[in-house]
Amino acid sequence: MLGRFTLTTAILLALTSTGARADAIRIGVNEPLTGPFAASGTYVVNGAKIAADEINAKGGVLGKKLELVIEDNKSNPTEAAAVAEKLITSDKTPVMMGAWGSSLTLAVMPKLVDYETPMLVETSSSGKITTSGNPYVFRISPPSSLEAETFAPMVSRLGLKKVDFLVLNNDFGRGAATDFGKMLKDKGVTVGLVETMDQGAQDMGAQLAKLKASDADTIMITSSVDQLVLLFKQMAALGLKKRVITTGGSQNPDQIIAQAGAAADGTMHLTTFLPWSPDKTPDPKATEAFIAAWKKRGFDYAGVTESFRGYDGIRAIAHAIEKAGSADPAAITKAFWSVDLVGLNGPIRFTKAGPAGKESGQSKPDVYLIEIKDGTVIVPTL
Amino acid sequence: MNELIQHLVNALILGGTYALLGIGLTLIFGIMNVVNFTHGALYTVGAYVMYLAVAALGLNFFLALPVAILGGLLLGAAIELVLLRPFRGSDIDTTMLVMIGAGIILQSGTLWTFGGVAKAIPSPFPEAPLQIGLVSVSWLRLFVLGAALTLIALTYALINRTKLGLAMRAAFQDSDTAALMGVDVRRIYTATFALGSSLAAAAGALLGPVYVVFPQMGGLAELKAFAIVILGGLGNVTGAAIGGFILALAEEFGAGYVSSGYRDAMGFLIIIAVLLYRPTGLFAKAERIG
Amino acid sequence: MNRLFPLALLAGLVVLPLGLGTNPYLLNALIVTGILTIGAMSLNLLLGFTGQLSLGHIAFFGIGAYVSALTSLGFDVDLGFGLRAVHEPWPAWGGFLLATVAAGGCGYLIGRLSFRVRGAYFVIVTISFAEVVRLVALNWVELTQGPLALTNIPAITLGLPGLGIWTLKTKLQNYYLVLTVGTLCYGVIARLVGGRFGRAMRGLKENESLALSVGINATRTLTVAAVISAAMAGAAGSLYAHYLRIIDPDVFLFATTVTMVIMVVAGGKGTLMGPVVGGLIFGLLPVALRPVMAPEAQWIVYGLVLIVILFVMPRGIVPGLSALLSRRQARPAPVLEVNPAVQR
Repeated sequence: MLGRFTLTTAILLALTSTGARADAIRIGVNEPLTGPFAASGTYVVNGAKIAADEINAKGGVLGKKLELVIEDNKSNPTEAAAVAEKLITSDKTPVMMGAWGSSLTLAVMPKLVDYETPMLVETSSSGKITTSGNPYVFRISPPSSLEAETFAPMVSRLGLKKVDFLVLNNDFGRGAATDFGKMLKDKGVTVGLVETMDQGAQDMGAQLAKLKASDADTIMITSSVDQLVLLFKQMAALGLKKRVITTGGSQNPDQIIAQAGAAADGTMHLTTFLPWSPDKTPDPKATEAFIAAWKKRGFDYAGVTESFRGYDGIRAIAHAIEKAGSADPAAITKAFWSVDLVGLNGPIRFTKAGPAGKESGQSKPDVYLIEIKDGTVIVPTL
Repeated sequence: MNELIQHLVNALILGGTYALLGIGLTLIFGIMNVVNFTHGALYTVGAYVMYLAVAALGLNFFLALPVAILGGLLLGAAIELVLLRPFRGSDIDTTMLVMIGAGIILQSGTLWTFGGVAKAIPSPFPEAPLQIGLVSVSWLRLFVLGAALTLIALTYALINRTKLGLAMRAAFQDSDTAALMGVDVRRIYTATFALGSSLAAAAGALLGPVYVVFPQMGGLAELKAFAIVILGGLGNVTGAAIGGFILALAEEFGAGYVSSGYRDAMGFLIIIAVLLYRPTGLFAKAERIG
Repeated sequence: MNRLFPLALLAGLVVLPLGLGTNPYLLNALIVTGILTIGAMSLNLLLGFTGQLSLGHIAFFGIGAYVSALTSLGFDVDLGFGLRAVHEPWPAWGGFLLATVAAGGCGYLIGRLSFRVRGAYFVIVTISFAEVVRLVALNWVELTQGPLALTNIPAITLGLPGLGIWTLKTKLQNYYLVLTVGTLCYGVIARLVGGRFGRAMRGLKENESLALSVGINATRTLTVAAVISAAMAGAAGSLYAHYLRIIDPDVFLFATTVTMVIMVVAGGKGTLMGPVVGGLIFGLLPVALRPVMAPEAQWIVYGLVLIVILFVMPRGIVPGLSALLSRRQARPAPVLEVNPAVQR
């Protein structure tokens, strides 16, 4: 029995010495590759790989190659924190990207303070991430308050009168309902029902029946793409015909078109990327190059709206390392403040957010309103 | 009023597939005394076979359905032969853990094979719903309800009208006596597990086109199946059928009139209430199945 | 099993950090494994010694985590009818004690219940209980922050009279804290099981009517076992909350209960060392698999290892190995452990 015990110890010891290439700069990637967010996390990782390969093909950063250390956080906050711990202490990554969902990112954040290591947040939307006084967080995705702010000018042009909400029962959904609700009230729009649904829920018939009976003209929905597909199909089945606007930037409209078909016709979506009309993006050449690389690798086209964040995230990190002049966590943290890069959805520049002295960085990406019409994505003129 | 009727219609349609899920689980528990933790995974496999047949192989929708059911039947038989037969006679905790292990393998296996992106199964039914007054029902869901009721009726007929069913009923009451009477109990167990599995796969294949197909879809379905089975009384097929409809009603009205956040809590609250009031389930464990 | 083995294991665990060179990642894995192992030991008290399978054990763990976190963070909640519940933050050790008490109280309810409903019904009632608690934690946003998670939970503090107060922030401190609590729990269970109470529990498990006829109070025995078991799970949950310093409704996931059950049954239910050995193996297996294979494959191996252990040693690793060892001592030629189920 004791022999068995020493064997376990030996395995553990062997694990501590994971082989590292000394000449490479390592970037930790902490994403959900299994569990409920597996699909989205995999898209982001694929985008990150394209960026790393592209940068390495051009000679790398500071004369060294970039090496992504990709770890699965199993869509679980506890696991996300453990992964961060492993990436920082065992893999010695001076900077990380992660962790997709807000609860995953929030779980990682105390570790960043403990080890004074910066992380670029690519997807999470909770306001809490940049307002809790964590100076190691730099976010390129818009929090829902920023999304609501960008949407504000379109409210009167769309002629919204009364809006109901149907949101995921988590930080992502409830945050969106709060921020958009506040903005709409300021604009003189009535806010009606706020209905919630669970993460894995598949049948939203009860909520939809309630929304159908309401007198609101518009339903704003915040959820992930899989649930949106279900919702549109179930709305068609219920004969619920109201204006639908989705928020959150995780919609993957091409997947919606492919899977919900005609049921998705007429729906509008707030998105942060326009792969359908590269000419309207801030850097058309880069957008086209990214889409070409994505297709060349045989990835599912619908994933580009999710994966570009991984691509932009790694590019921003590489930029910060370049500016820092060394792969040192403190230097990279400082250098993030001087990042100035044209990303696929607008300039990546970090402005200060949160309590003074411990500000987090928040970039302000573009937000676009798109519409699905006859099975294609159009940018409506308002 | 219209909202109320719409909720009722929704519940009726949902209840049919819930009943199907519950019957498969309760059969396996009643006859084999196995808590089947692969039920959710088999539901998922049913949906993926349907997806492969319709979307990848281009098979007719109505032909793909029996293919998926057959897939569940074969996989169920294989699980029974490889994993359960060697553990015959072990206590219920051991077989339950074996099933948990098998469930983990099946679920991770589907994730590995198909990836995490949800798949949609195209259906031949018109998108526009059937409109009765202000209440609407989709044609696909009507078909699903019809198919579920048909399968339930077939299961009843199998148990009550066939020789296999007779042997199953005998094994349910007393497997030792049944064995003495010349019933090959080992074969009955395999048949029971395969039958229960095929019903789970059928539920997945029917609901796959209604919803979307993804590797984790079985988790929630499995918990609901447990709720239904306990509501109906363990091993009670009729109870499971009624339990399915009760759960659907509770969820629908809970979400509609109490709070949508507690939708999935309704079923569990009912279970706790029922068990405190009637510890053996709403319909006590049947003396015989069928 | 050899009586020296627990002591040897304890000594090994005490010096292990020296051997690891205090690698934070591995220490982290060991701490989380240790906390789950305490949960598994507490589950074993119910499952292994009274034969009642609770698949909602994670509820006590989660209740402990939430009670402890909320006690030390403070809250201000509107209860309706003009009532408000306001609580000022307490030191974390107060949270730990309250968590233990609160989880024990819930254990009392479940213990009373377990006398009413048995077997598979008890299993499902406990699953339902855990699921309802999870949904409350998810939806009572004002109190629990719902899915936003309770963050910035303070690290646990330890005060000794005359020596001042320490805040246990580092991994190493937490490692020894978990090891200490784990050893204490082990000691409590060993005392319980070895004494009159243990005989009563085993009597009820083996032959209830016989046990009742010789004057064993079944309700009281089962209730006491459930209270102690739940209180230990609550204590483990409290350690978890103050170590991770974030807690969200995912703590109630069914998968965590399953992990604990696997630890107990694979290790050997109804044995003192079973949950410890099972806990170490199944807690560290994912860590060992992580660098060598794809995430999905890790889960497949996890499932396979579980089935193989059950196949080779149906009563669990600890009874299986001790049978093997004693046979080896008795006879020169080693005899393979054969599944008794196969022989039938």
